[in-house]
Amino acid sequence: MESSAATQPHGLLTPAPGAGRRKAVNKTVEVLCTIAAALAVAVLLLVVISVLLKGLPAINLDLLTKNPAAFGQPGGGISNSIVGSAILIAIASLIAIPVGILTAIYTTEFAPARISFGIKFALDILNGVPTIVTGVFIFGVLVVGGTQSGWAGAIALSVVELPIVARAAQEVLDLVPRSLHEAGLALGLKRWRIVLRIVLPTALGGLITGAVLGVARVAGETAPLLLTSSIWSNLSYTTNPSQALPNIPVTIFSLSESPSPADHAKAWAAALVLILFVLILSVVARAFHERSRSRLRG
Amino acid sequence: MSVTTASRRGPFDIHARLADRIGQPALRILTTLAGIASVAVLVWIAETLVNQSRPAMSAFGLGFVGHTTWNPVKSTFGAGAFLYGTLVSSFIALLIATPTAIAIAIYLTELAPRVIRRPVAILVELLAAIPSVILGLWGIIFLSPFLGNHLEPFLKSFLGWLPLFSGSPSPYGMLNAALILTIMTLPIVTAITREVFQTTPGELKEAAYALGATRWEMIRKVVLPVARPGIVGAVILGLGRAFGEAIAVTQVIGNANQVKASLFQPAGTLAAQIVNEFPNASPGVYQSSLIYLALVLLVMSLIVNIAARVLVRRRKVG
Amino acid sequence: MNIKVHRITMAATAVAAAGAVAACGGSSNSGSGSASNASSKTLVGAGSTLVAPLVTQWQSPYDKATGVAVTYGAIGSGGGIEQITARTVNFGASDAPMTSSEASACKDCVEIPWALAATDVAYNVKGVPNGLHFTGPVLAKIWLGQIKSWNDPAIKALNPGVKLPSTPIVPIHRTDGSGDTYVFTNYLSKVSPTFKSKVGSATTVAWPGGIGGKGNSGVGGALASTNGSIAYIAIAYVLENHFHYGLVQNAAGKYPAPGVPSILAAASSLKSVPAGGKQGISITDPPASAAGAYPISTFTYVIVPVQASSSVATPLKKFINWAVTSGQADGPKLDFAPLPSRVAEAAKADVNLIK
Repeated sequence: MESSAATQPHGLLTPAPGAGRRKAVNKTVEVLCTIAAALAVAVLLLVVISVLLKGLPAINLDLLTKNPAAFGQPGGGISNSIVGSAILIAIASLIAIPVGILTAIYTTEFAPARISFGIKFALDILNGVPTIVTGVFIFGVLVVGGTQSGWAGAIALSVVELPIVARAAQEVLDLVPRSLHEAGLALGLKRWRIVLRIVLPTALGGLITGAVLGVARVAGETAPLLLTSSIWSNLSYTTNPSQALPNIPVTIFSLSESPSPADHAKAWAAALVLILFVLILSVVARAFHERSRSRLRG
Repeated sequence: MSVTTASRRGPFDIHARLADRIGQPALRILTTLAGIASVAVLVWIAETLVNQSRPAMSAFGLGFVGHTTWNPVKSTFGAGAFLYGTLVSSFIALLIATPTAIAIAIYLTELAPRVIRRPVAILVELLAAIPSVILGLWGIIFLSPFLGNHLEPFLKSFLGWLPLFSGSPSPYGMLNAALILTIMTLPIVTAITREVFQTTPGELKEAAYALGATRWEMIRKVVLPVARPGIVGAVILGLGRAFGEAIAVTQVIGNANQVKASLFQPAGTLAAQIVNEFPNASPGVYQSSLIYLALVLLVMSLIVNIAARVLVRRRKVG
Repeated sequence: MNIKVHRITMAATAVAAAGAVAACGGSSNSGSGSASNASSKTLVGAGSTLVAPLVTQWQSPYDKATGVAVTYGAIGSGGGIEQITARTVNFGASDAPMTSSEASACKDCVEIPWALAATDVAYNVKGVPNGLHFTGPVLAKIWLGQIKSWNDPAIKALNPGVKLPSTPIVPIHRTDGSGDTYVFTNYLSKVSPTFKSKVGSATTVAWPGGIGGKGNSGVGGALASTNGSIAYIAIAYVLENHFHYGLVQNAAGKYPAPGVPSILAAASSLKSVPAGGKQGISITDPPASAAGAYPISTFTYVIVPVQASSSVATPLKKFINWAVTSGQADGPKLDFAPLPSRVAEAAKADVNLIK
């Protein structure tokens, strides 16, 4: 076996000086690869566990239900940021999810192939635009000469969310069997009825996956909000989106830079709230994804 | 055919047709508008940045990109130092992330027992879901003291003769930012590399084994060459992510406008500079220069993303 | 044919969408100043992080007394000037007086002194006790990167008997536009010609090196975690976080501790207060006659447009009047000195300029 490998004509395998060395090299690489994988998982666990260890002791009812305390006062919480984040995410999703899914329907059902390709490409590029640039853009369009506001923040988030929702929706709509269309057409149904009655219900699981992934992604977005919704009153509740809305990511950002251990504790607690939200959404999205994929595929 | 179905519907016929007459174009127009909006946003972003960076462009021209002075007192601005910081921190990140990602992908596609392949892959990908501000917080509290007190003194004692590891260790600086960016780009590069590996034709692998190759020889001679364009695409995509990361980098890089060879020294990046100075820049050339920074960043991310998509796509088609 | 029709509808929708987009952009711009249309039950302000502890201290009692909620964003003095210039807030707050170009951009704004504070030099060096002595020129050389280690002869000479390590000095500065930066660079420019020509004095300057932190809080964070570091921080943040702070030599050659008495001493060196709310009052590096004066003291200002919108003018005047009178009582526990009566009177006169 070894000799045949050494003499085979196309040079696919370099002639090995000895089986022992080749096996040793192989083993080394295998061990290195295993270590690399272990390392990556370890880093994830390290981050998650430090958030848990630091965040859990800091979390209490006050933290979740109270507003921040005045400078130098002990106690206080992050409830205004939790509420503000919820509002920002809700508005952003109300914009991004419908527009994203409609875009996906356009590319899979109506658009000519070239336009469809162009839109998909543009969405991929949009997905790659740094979110700080999105923040500068929304600042330039909505904040300059106006004011920071929850609306501006939410619209910035929706720009980040849109390509994620749209691409995920496209992917799953592409998987809906053409035979379902043909069956609909054979029954004399118009395109729009086929889309609403057959395609969308079939793809529902996948559409939800995309929406949930989009929400998970923007829940932690900090950079766009820093430029569009970061000036707020610490002591009072704001739920009015025409003012800047407090939010968890910017709160973590400013607390993280503070020298005070009490602020760090609050930052960890806020991080725990955020990471649980994001990781649970990601796992849920994945579960939906697997289910709808296996159903659609076969 | 359609006539018979219609007549069978009887009294609903008119309603159904009326609904068809409205519903069909309505859905079409609605979806078309959404499609146009999605593309228009991208154009609008570029247009806004170009427009609003005009004062800085006319003041500093293209030389802005390479100029390393950033002095609000004298109203002289240049992106050079930040461009340097962005490129160096991202390249170091990918230098560490790429081999690691390839190793993980090899483990996940070739070595790992079948039962743990999916869970491990999911765990690695979940790393990408951690918000960057949390990674930055972790970087400030855990990573920076470790770097300042242990890793950097260690590197200095062994490799201190290299300019890269000279100077005094510092908890905030280029190395810290690069490591955080490594953690951020790792899952992206891993996910794509793994996908590409999985598409290696089984016959080729079996052929290599049949010729007596060890697993590593098979990977080196069959899997890697086939996957190369895909891996390059993945790395470039990771680079795009690293270029644009603003928050976590701001938290750990030390935010100094300087070009230093030593990786221990504080530095700045395009994105971090925008985070630091944008909220309080006075309108005029100052603010416009920061928007110009954003434009430079946008152009970089466009180039990188287009290149990566073309590479990854070509791989899929070919 | 079919394709042609399709292209035409595409083009039409594209035009329609572009129109909608343009309309959107237009309306959002014309929707500016929504803060100034806010009901008179709220006042929105932003700016200086130095004065932030005091303003947040004011919020709750003022709300209780008058039913007016004051919102304040601590975004840095540069940001405060920018926001009030854009009229996105009802008042801006800055520790730096507006430059002439900023003042003209702000279009009829008055800056009213409403608090008196100081910027401290704090440090974190293992084994070095509180209260190191510094002089202005030494501080200038540290931030210029010319004095590089803690056992530099220049520092040793000022601190006989203190054991100083060879730890490298890491100067920390603010990355956001900051009144502390203004006060500190204004002081260093007065005492060091080299500093004046190389760096200058403004809310954001080009530092030759060191670490940057965002806000007083960010600077404090970097200070706390970096051995060998030195930073300029608002006094309230220094005491809140128990940092070691330096004593800076004044023109009389004394080393007064930063605090209410020494800040007041600096403020009382003031001979006259310019009226009309158009120019700042610098009290850094006061003359030797003020023997107990802390040399890096500063007034901090509230900046308001003369033409405030009708719904805001009355509550705004009331609030600032309250701040420069009753509000001053909250100062000392946060190490803000109360305004000298001469300044408070001038401030009240300035408030009346608001229409």
